[in-house]
Amino acid sequence: MKYDRKSKLQIALLLLPGLLIFGIFTVYPIVRLFWMSFYKWDFGSFLEQDFIGLENYKTVLQDDNFHIAFSNTILYTLITVPAQMLIGLAVAMLINSVNHVKIGFRVAYYLPVVTSWVIASLVFKYVFNTEGLLNYFLVNVLHVTSQNIRWLDYRWGGMTVAMLLGIWKGIGWNMVVFLAALQTVPVELYESASLDGAGGLQKFVHITLPGIRSTILFALVMLTIGGFNVYTSTKLITGGKPGHDTEVVLTWMYYKAFSNGKFGYSAALSFIIAFVLAILAVVQFRLMQTKDEG
Amino acid sequence: MGIHKKNVVQIIIYALLVAGLVIVILPMIYMVSTSLKPNGALYEYPPRFFPDLKEITAENYLYILKQKKFLVNFANSIFVSGVTVALSAIVSSSLAFVIARFRFFGRRLLFGFIILTMIIPGTTMIVPQYELAVKIHAINSIFGLIPFYVAWVIPYSTFMIKGFVENIPRELDEATYMDGGDVWTVYKNVMIPLAKPGIASVSIFNFLTAWEEFPWANTVINDDVKRTLPIAISGFFGQHQFTQWGYVFALSVLSLIPIMVVFISCQRFFVKGLTAGSVKG
Repeated sequence: MKYDRKSKLQIALLLLPGLLIFGIFTVYPIVRLFWMSFYKWDFGSFLEQDFIGLENYKTVLQDDNFHIAFSNTILYTLITVPAQMLIGLAVAMLINSVNHVKIGFRVAYYLPVVTSWVIASLVFKYVFNTEGLLNYFLVNVLHVTSQNIRWLDYRWGGMTVAMLLGIWKGIGWNMVVFLAALQTVPVELYESASLDGAGGLQKFVHITLPGIRSTILFALVMLTIGGFNVYTSTKLITGGKPGHDTEVVLTWMYYKAFSNGKFGYSAALSFIIAFVLAILAVVQFRLMQTKDEG
Repeated sequence: MGIHKKNVVQIIIYALLVAGLVIVILPMIYMVSTSLKPNGALYEYPPRFFPDLKEITAENYLYILKQKKFLVNFANSIFVSGVTVALSAIVSSSLAFVIARFRFFGRRLLFGFIILTMIIPGTTMIVPQYELAVKIHAINSIFGLIPFYVAWVIPYSTFMIKGFVENIPRELDEATYMDGGDVWTVYKNVMIPLAKPGIASVSIFNFLTAWEEFPWANTVINDDVKRTLPIAISGFFGQHQFTQWGYVFALSVLSLIPIMVVFISCQRFFVKGLTAGSVKG
């Protein structure tokens, strides 16, 4: 198709505002970030920087605190992603099989998702406080432990709270996405399977799971990115403490940039995260595709 | 017999759903109940889930509402979120329209690149964005937040709206051109009206994003009166040795009201926006 001058101009004018904003505020920072990662770039020294090649990347990869932050992030992702998906799918299947108040359940289960991260984090911090409600319940009501657990004062305690929050907040999203996917599985498949005497579990494995595979992949990729995006909850619940034991990659990146002034270090760290995410996304797509053929 | 068994199964499923719902909703109820307790009672031991009926007080809410700065914070959040939503709707819908309908050099590459940036966590860009904000004097200004938020939501919005545009029959475009219309008239009279559900669902997400955004606003805004709500809420920490949880949760509840209103009244659009990308695969 050929366009006349007027059309070309109008197309260009429609593209322009979006491209300008996207270009200046997203593309330029990405390029700049890449550039920065090769320089010794400290806060306050916007003018003089030395090119130091891959030195920043080396420093990040050899940094013990980065190792802790990275393994915390991986752990967070490995635990919260499957947990959210399993619970979300289970809730979706339950809602799908009731006849009334479907929409009511859907809305109510989604409420934690629209609650902001700041508010949800503070509620969890309050509940898991050493003198908080949960400890009271565990010690004085259930008697499972004789002493208050200092949830927020050690690495695994702090991580547990952050992960519980992540799962709590993510169930609703998974539920809605899987509920929609379940509608696309043809009812006739279940009916003919029932006639053949298939049980509930068989139907789930052979009809439901294959039928919603593309949604599982979509959720897996989105949630993995989400897992690496954790910032606000750890920042507000533990602040990375004690020491830097509960730091995740983004809070650590932020700390190095704005508390230590190591912009070059943070830039290199950001690119390492982006690189890891890109590889994970490719691997996840590949894995799902090979299953497709098999 | 069969019918009877079916009823029992249904009852069990309802019971499971309600039990799960109680667990899911519990933290939020606790937040509301804490906001209604007198502020002094928050450190008492043992902690209680509900206050006594005669204890219930609005003092935390009155304290918040009496402070002018929180009203300003509220207005800031409304303004920033509203402008972000409007600008993103215009900019993303025109991008989506052009990418979906016209062939031009680098079109696929451009769209691919826009999608690719969704992988990169927004917070990782905070360092160069901070440097940029210093350069363009966007530090400590609520206007400074808006372009960054718009840029942030463009990829997802464009991706979603493009999906809606592709479902609009091309014959409608052709008919408009036949009647002497140009690209602009097609955009205005065909695309905008028919892609409205898509734009609406994307706009709800964008509103949520801007309304709750924390890391960026927390980095660039310093003044009390220039804060948005999430920064105001987290600002209760660090000011004093001990946290006044009653105030924290009263402000939290107030800031959740607009979100709940938007979400519950628009939940149809909401679901559409969430699932359009996931089910097609």
